[in-house]
Amino acid sequence: MEIVLTINGKERRVEVVGAETLLDLLRRLGYKSVKFGCGEGACGVCTVLMDGRPVNSCLILAVTAGGREIVTVDDLGTRDNPHLLQTAFVESGAVQCGFCTPGMILASKALLDRNASPTVDEIKQALDGNLCRCTGYVQIIEAVQLAARRIRAKKKTGTKRKKTAAKKPKTKKQKIT
Amino acid sequence: MKLAELQRVSYPETIAGAIAILSDEKRQTVAVGGGITFAFTPPNNVEEMVCLRRLPLNYISKKGGAIHIGATTPISELVSSGVIKGYADGMIWDAARRIGSTLNRNLITVGGNLVQPFIWSDLSTVALALGAGIIIQDKNKRRELSAEEFFSRIPAKFLKPGSLVTEIIFPPFAKNARAAYEKFTLTEFDYAILKVAIVLIRTGKVCREITIVVGGATVLPQRVRAAEDILRGKKGVQILVNEASELASEELKLVRDIRCSEKYKRDLCRVQVRGILEKILLDQKVAEWKLF
Repeated sequence: MEIVLTINGKERRVEVVGAETLLDLLRRLGYKSVKFGCGEGACGVCTVLMDGRPVNSCLILAVTAGGREIVTVDDLGTRDNPHLLQTAFVESGAVQCGFCTPGMILASKALLDRNASPTVDEIKQALDGNLCRCTGYVQIIEAVQLAARRIRAKKKTGTKRKKTAAKKPKTKKQKIT
Repeated sequence: MKLAELQRVSYPETIAGAIAILSDEKRQTVAVGGGITFAFTPPNNVEEMVCLRRLPLNYISKKGGAIHIGATTPISELVSSGVIKGYADGMIWDAARRIGSTLNRNLITVGGNLVQPFIWSDLSTVALALGAGIIIQDKNKRRELSAEEFFSRIPAKFLKPGSLVTEIIFPPFAKNARAAYEKFTLTEFDYAILKVAIVLIRTGKVCREITIVVGGATVLPQRVRAAEDILRGKKGVQILVNEASELASEELKLVRDIRCSEKYKRDLCRVQVRGILEKILLDQKVAEWKLF
């Protein structure tokens, strides 16, 4: 059966095979950052954002994902221009084997998109479906806090710049007239 | 290969549209909410899947003290809702926030949790305790079943192909009512070994009305009526609470659970029922559990 869905901002028309899950489909299409772990929604390594919400892609039949907007970690940043969360994870030592990291980062992104100042309890709750067997969770929580601080700072600077940029043309126009 | 017969997935935008497709007797159809059950056990002979996510059934509203929740509302929205947190001493909120993980709660819908109850389902237990009504829309009529009736059998088995659960209504919560929900699990988002929901109406220390529901013992939640009867109309005292919790434990029907013995579950039931009654009937302060 053919379905149309958006993956990382690009509309894709794909053929779905039988009872294939969204996880299987994404990996078949080359999105290998979406990992297979438990296959039953317990570990979170297959996390993707579906219409902005973090979900286990192993629990979704691909045929029912038509019309959905899917985001994988590949969409967040590049090696040269990483996302603030990716930098924070590396700097905080929140990555060891790295298998859980894409899921952790996507679940964290969903949290920070709606709440840029989360408490430790809110971070723990947002990541309660993402398991890590290497680092423990202290550095991961620190990484999310660090990213949150940087996102807030960036927003502040962005607002200041916007205000300055909005004022400048007015001055120019006044000079011309 | 499962889903070998599947020819079409439709996304109706009206309830009537969805029911029309689901009522088609010539085709094998199935309604899909969050869809988790089908990811585990894909149906074999289905020709058409009817995704319910575009129906106008994603809402939480309060009308005259009653809470109306649309069937396609994800559990995560119950958790973030102030209306749900402020209703019935937070009983529904408490049950919802402990269903699976955040990732699961973003997928599981209220309707799915009611229609496809598993031994670990949480909403069915609180729906029965709070005396909720479940709205079922057929091709020609809309009817309301009490939670008592709805959970007397496995809903997914008695609902006809063209019947759709559209809403759950929790009745106004009386001012002198108290409610509490306890879920016993081995880890934070593990399946419950046992859970208990109690709602009671008090006049002073006298228990006027009481509902005690135990979930996790069988697929469907159970009311333990002997325990309710011994407390109804009586003044709440420790000896009566102890007796009621013993009766609840004895009355409980159980299915085999690989994680623990029958005796363990009965003991757990007794302790949970007694603990909740001490809290909401005897007003005893319960020490918070702190591991560290």
